[in-house]
Amino acid sequence: MTALKLFPKPAIRRRIFRGLVLLIVTSTGFGAASAGEELSARVDALIGAAAKGEPIGPACDDATFVRRVYLDLAGRIPSSQEATTFLASTEANNRPALIDSLLASPDYPQRMRDLFHAMLMERRGDNAEWTKFLEASFEANKPWDQLVREILDPDPDNEAVRGAAFFHTRRLEKVGQQETDYPGLTRDTGRLFLGIDLQCAQCHNHLFIDSYKQVDFQGLFTVYQNTFIRTDVKFPAVGEKVTSKKLEFMSVFDKQPLTTGPRIPFGQEFEIPTFEKDQEYLTPPDPKTNFPGVPRFRALEVIARELPVDSNRAFVDNASNRLWFVMMGRGLVNPLDQQHLQNPPSHPDVLQAVGEELIATKFDIKSLLRQLALTETYQRTSVLTTINDVPPADSYRVANEKRLSAEQIMNSVFVATGPRDHSASIEPPPAAQPSTDAKPVPTADEIRAAFVKAFGNVPQDPEVEFSPSLKSSLFVLNDSAVLDCLTPQAGNLVDRLMNEPDPSAVADELYLSVLTRRPTVDERAEVADYLAKNESRRQIAVTNLAWALLASTEFCLNH
Amino acid sequence: MGGSAGAVAGAIGLGGLMTPALADDLKQKSKQVLFIWLDGGISQLESWDPKPNTEFGGPFRAIPTSVPGIHVSELLPNTAKQMQHLAIVRSLCTQDDAHSSGVERIQRGDPKNRGVVYPYFGSAVTKLLGANDSGLPPYVWIKPLSGGFKHQDAGFLGPKYGSLAFGDGKPPDNLLRHASVSDQDLTERAQLRARADKRYAASHRAGSTEANSFVFDMGLELMKRQDLFDASKFSPRDVERYGTHDLGRHMLIARQMLQAGVTFVKVNSYGWDTHGDNFNGSLSLVRKFDQPFAAMIEDLAASGMLDNVLVIAMSEFGRTPRVNGHLGRDHWPEAWSLAMAGSGVKRGIAVGSTSDNGTYVTTEPYDIGYMFHTWFNALGIDSQHTEYDNNGQPLPIAHDDCHPVQELLA
Repeated sequence: MTALKLFPKPAIRRRIFRGLVLLIVTSTGFGAASAGEELSARVDALIGAAAKGEPIGPACDDATFVRRVYLDLAGRIPSSQEATTFLASTEANNRPALIDSLLASPDYPQRMRDLFHAMLMERRGDNAEWTKFLEASFEANKPWDQLVREILDPDPDNEAVRGAAFFHTRRLEKVGQQETDYPGLTRDTGRLFLGIDLQCAQCHNHLFIDSYKQVDFQGLFTVYQNTFIRTDVKFPAVGEKVTSKKLEFMSVFDKQPLTTGPRIPFGQEFEIPTFEKDQEYLTPPDPKTNFPGVPRFRALEVIARELPVDSNRAFVDNASNRLWFVMMGRGLVNPLDQQHLQNPPSHPDVLQAVGEELIATKFDIKSLLRQLALTETYQRTSVLTTINDVPPADSYRVANEKRLSAEQIMNSVFVATGPRDHSASIEPPPAAQPSTDAKPVPTADEIRAAFVKAFGNVPQDPEVEFSPSLKSSLFVLNDSAVLDCLTPQAGNLVDRLMNEPDPSAVADELYLSVLTRRPTVDERAEVADYLAKNESRRQIAVTNLAWALLASTEFCLNH
Repeated sequence: MGGSAGAVAGAIGLGGLMTPALADDLKQKSKQVLFIWLDGGISQLESWDPKPNTEFGGPFRAIPTSVPGIHVSELLPNTAKQMQHLAIVRSLCTQDDAHSSGVERIQRGDPKNRGVVYPYFGSAVTKLLGANDSGLPPYVWIKPLSGGFKHQDAGFLGPKYGSLAFGDGKPPDNLLRHASVSDQDLTERAQLRARADKRYAASHRAGSTEANSFVFDMGLELMKRQDLFDASKFSPRDVERYGTHDLGRHMLIARQMLQAGVTFVKVNSYGWDTHGDNFNGSLSLVRKFDQPFAAMIEDLAASGMLDNVLVIAMSEFGRTPRVNGHLGRDHWPEAWSLAMAGSGVKRGIAVGSTSDNGTYVTTEPYDIGYMFHTWFNALGIDSQHTEYDNNGQPLPIAHDDCHPVQELLA
């Protein structure tokens, strides 16, 4: 502190003092890279403390771990070869090493693409540009705030990211004779990027959530009701009309006229600048090409600048909560879009810690997922008999079962039934029968669409809980997309099982390939028994055994 | 979310009822429900509560029915002949005049707000009556256009209690056994899968394997009942009696489902929102309803099924007595009607009255909560003493402040 006396000017002294404070603060780990190492430990300490002495399950075994982490980070189960390699390794840090190698693999961006496609589009349909945008974003490990910015204000001039506009344009499409669903788009922006569902605050202040006011909805609505789908270009693109005046609205209850300009929920209202006539456009519209023009003041630009920032608590919490949900199977705030005072997080300190980490790492998704994967909480067993208790799902005293998406199930079916050594790209098996005019071989896209139709929810219904359906069971029972995987082809599962004379080895190969673990004594006996009874029809017998495991709960969950 | 938070082992199959003994008793009686939903708002003045020769009565006459003293619109000639089986309620008075919110509130019974989403009547009945012996989906919805599983119907009960919709009565995809799988294989696969699930359930939460086994068992059962979707199985006489139009065909399939033992069958008819041209609209619509509805009542009565099947035909509200500028009637929840019949319901009665010109209820007005109480009791469920158990939160099954309408109960 004596050094400060050499600089008498108060302003400079203040600046140096502030610098010193920052140095001290940074070196204690607050917001620096070293804080990253602490997050996983911090999370475990907080989850442990919140358990208040109730029994906590032990770590899951390696077989469970390898399956779980492959599904979460690579979007598929490991092949039997990959599983064997991991299970045979004796290295002390084999789990962290596996996490790092999966995050660096080409499967990771594909998994994230599928995950965020389902989360952000909620099965409203596909678009090649949007897919390209997502995949490239995760290949580059684009920070979450930047990703959101690119979605909120899509850049039509940047080929790599213009597909982000699909989030908007799909929701702006008219359905039959219904009005354009601007309220729906407004609501989804709140739900998916801020973790708040303002639907019931459209016409009045929310009736039972005190913090959701009508102006929170309407302020965001002013932005979206001015947008439209551009028809002058072939790729998804959003246009904006000139915003010249505030939106008038009124509660259906107190009928007091109010106005608002563009506004982030819970935030400040933004001024709408006035322009001289003929000066409202940066680039004027061109009726010849149908180009709608670019207004000088664009509310989307304002939203994109102001919403995805680290000072926006709702934005940070939503990101933390959703990434936590991806790895842990349940939001700290549950449901994921119901964040408010009367629905507090189960572990507010954990949510806070994750948020701090995100801010410190500038919204680095890969880094956060890595930290979460390193926690004991993530690596905990889901087996209830280890603690002889059925703890509430939000305690994390045992790991939660996680629903598998249609894409994860599809990829896993291919890996389970395919050759022992699976390449990084997930492909459907080669066609069992040659293509004919009457029965053409389905394309990879068609097969994917069939899986999504069978296992996905109806559009606009978030996929959170495990909800098997008659559709999915009939699909697994009778659809060629699944059953073709079980016809023997050189090197695939059924082929290997058919040609393995030792029933014990059959059991080993079967369970390792499909369920990523070794069979129990009983299971081994059951396989031997069944094979003995079906000596004359071995192919059918091994196919039935394989099918049964594919149809089992254990296969279609991430446990 | 409720429905699956049972213990590791020994979860009660009917889990979540405060009075399990009552439920066992109900199972033996095999109660069923046929719920006909006329979406958009059937005009009570052109159906159950005609007011001919009054200010708002419109051009249609009233006709006598098989019950002396009860008249219905001339647009229900066939139903009029079945009045001795029916109970009409003319004194409905509900809260919501909007379709989007109104449909939900009516079908969920509009109970007191306890911060949960209450189940649709079909989901509620599925839960309260428990599994039937048929092995078929307990709650089936026959509707035009698309099918699929509608889990939102179930509210807090959990997705398992949703409805399985058959679009245009067609079977779901993949119902036919795949060429590569023999019947024997199907059976053996089912056994192997069930054993695998049993092992998994021994060390994990019961809900997941319950849900998985449920849909596989149902899939296999439905595969055995391809005949349910085979229109050629209906007799030509039945096809003629019910009518070859959408609602006629769907009602015939509904009868098939009821005969097969499905607990709750909902049939939807759309297009009833006659804001314009109400009279021509009703002429067409009510007639389309009258034909299969009367045939259904006749068949259920003749076979004795009516003793155990509760039949309800209703909309989300009625229509305004005042005729608007488009010769239409708008929404009118203040005074409207529904028809019911069957299990536990008095036969051949009309309960409640509206004013001379049909504008308001003059007797005790009934919100939908009263109907839910009445229907549950008609099915043998004590609506005032039975509760749901939503993960420890006790919830009444119908609006606390309403009660069953004794006049309607047999």
